[in-house]
Amino acid sequence: MRRPKKPCPITEAGIRFVDYKDDRLLARFITDYGKILPSRLSGVDARHQRQLSKAVKKARFLALLPYVKGQTG
Amino acid sequence: MATLKTRMAPTRPYEIVYIIDSALEDAAIAEKLEKHHGLLELAEPAEIEHWGRRQLAYKIGRHEAGYYAIAKVQAAPGTLPEFERALKLDESIVRYMVSLVERVLGAPALSEEEMAARAMADDDDDEDDE
Repeated sequence: MRRPKKPCPITEAGIRFVDYKDDRLLARFITDYGKILPSRLSGVDARHQRQLSKAVKKARFLALLPYVKGQTG
Repeated sequence: MATLKTRMAPTRPYEIVYIIDSALEDAAIAEKLEKHHGLLELAEPAEIEHWGRRQLAYKIGRHEAGYYAIAKVQAAPGTLPEFERALKLDESIVRYMVSLVERVLGAPALSEEEMAARAMADDDDDEDDE
């Protein structure tokens, strides 16, 4: 049985192109360890997932998001 | 030909994010940005958004916090190498990133309530499938 498709949360937020500076948005799409959440779990559509992936990587470089979470030092 | 070159140099929109040593005074930061932007030979002054001091997600060298500033500029690509060289030599600039603005980013800004409402709606959103 296939589940009905989840609506894409980024499309629903009215976002055309994901902004790497919006750390509050990006933080919703990373796991507790800081990994990027698979779209299978988040329901993000493919186009936005590609943008998200780049945005998270830029945000990490700018120290807006951690590379690894839950680690000291 | 130099004059022709500078007059004709086509510009492109760039967004520059700076992380500056948070120990610096606000005035010194503004002055520093202006000095560096001078190297870009901008026709119009840069549009600067100051986020101010915030905690870094991880330590960068000895820094645990940084002053974030985002500048939007229309610059000729040819001016960038010299500009970036100056940024790298400047020790009070903890990190910077120059990116080409190809598209309008983000969405019409969400209000606090909308964010909260969305966060609530998303709570039951993980760990299904399989």
